Amino acid sequence: MTREADVVQSLVELATTLVDDYDVVDLLTGLADRCVSVLGAAAAGVMLASSDGGLRLVASSSDAMRVLELFELQAQEGPCLDAFRTGVPVEQQDLHAGSGRWPRFSTVALEAGFQSALALPLRLREKTIGALNLVSAERTPMDDSNVLVAQAFADLATISILQQRATVEAQQVNEQLAHALTSRIVIEQAKGVVFERAGVDMSEAFSRLRGYARSHNLHLTDVARSAIDGTLDPGAWDPAPPSARP
Amino acid sequence: MEGDRLSRILGELSAGGGGRWPSARLCEVAREIIGVSGAGVMLMSGDAPGGSLCTAGGVSTLIEELQYTLGEGPCVDAFRQDRVVLEPDLAHPGTPRWLAFTPQAVEAGVRAMFAFPVQVGAVRLGALNLYRDGPGPLTDDQHADALVMADVIARWVLDVQTHAPTGTMAQELEQDADFHFVVHNAAGAVSVQLGVSITEALIRLRAHAFGNDLPLREVAEDVVARRLRFQ
Repeated sequence: MTREADVVQSLVELATTLVDDYDVVDLLTGLADRCVSVLGAAAAGVMLASSDGGLRLVASSSDAMRVLELFELQAQEGPCLDAFRTGVPVEQQDLHAGSGRWPRFSTVALEAGFQSALALPLRLREKTIGALNLVSAERTPMDDSNVLVAQAFADLATISILQQRATVEAQQVNEQLAHALTSRIVIEQAKGVVFERAGVDMSEAFSRLRGYARSHNLHLTDVARSAIDGTLDPGAWDPAPPSARP
Repeated sequence: MEGDRLSRILGELSAGGGGRWPSARLCEVAREIIGVSGAGVMLMSGDAPGGSLCTAGGVSTLIEELQYTLGEGPCVDAFRQDRVVLEPDLAHPGTPRWLAFTPQAVEAGVRAMFAFPVQVGAVRLGALNLYRDGPGPLTDDQHADALVMADVIARWVLDVQTHAPTGTMAQELEQDADFHFVVHNAAGAVSVQLGVSITEALIRLRAHAFGNDLPLREVAEDVVARRLRFQ
């Protein structure tokens, strides 16, 4: 296959993973692997920001890369961290042991056989959610056209991750709404039960439910459920004694 | 193209005044922009109609109420089947469906009904109901507007609910939406009167409403006013 066909196929495959319930780790492992197979990087890895704002290693194309990236996180220096902090691509040609921007990272990278490094932010507009790290056995990491393709891969992965997060958030909000509505409905039903059992109007029925919940230190929804089940003692809906009244 | 539709809808929504739009505005704008006789938004609770977020135009309140009472109709299908439901000729449908709903809707003057799921991705909230007093399909343009409108409504609901304190319903929903609480009051009362579960009591209330050609709400109001008892 030509390089162009490779690139197109990779984009299509990455885009297909956006469908339905894909796995973020699978997606990013695919991204790292493609940077090696299509773009000729020696190895690639992806880090994502966690909720505390720190980076976590999510995917690596090889064990050597995994070790290097874990070292980068431990040492708190290296291309991925810089690309994440600044939101722009970071390139380092010709790494030198013990010197340069990342003296400790460079030493470990050279020991693993990598001579240069490039990191691209996973970024959509002002939001940077992680970084893609590419290393090469050559003294220059990657030619410009390949960097552009790598950034396209990274952009696609970013959009898919943000999209999935938005869906998860929407799901949570919807569940909260469903829960709030269910609680409310249970209380309205319980009011009807007390209305009938105690022969009082709806607003008095609510006062008695609330009075019972307060004097027994229970949640209103739990009292409401018990009222519906009939598991509360028969006298529970008598008017509360004055001391128990709010 | 989609961007144009969206900005036109958002512009129209904002025309009523600044700040957050009241939910009623959503139905009014749906009706005006799409150009139909009436619009309503049904919010679902589990798999059943939970309540109406808003209604606009003619008999749309009745249409919402019918679907709530009967538990069937275009918006119930749109939600459950997760698809757009189009019935351009309600009086002479290609496939007979909604055996209880259709005759009553036709009697109320409805000739065509269209329902669009209100959802964000896989998160489903309810459906947007559109009806017209004459038969005929929606144009492609109306269809496209309705899809964008349904999306705006879904985002509105999630947006207001996002700002609600944990465990509570957003104030906008609490105040503006109609969740038929009186029906649940009545179900509680009827469960005591008949010595049955709440679910059974709701079925009995619905059966009574259907058998007497009354909206479920009216039956419930009679129970709560102690004008009606189930023994």
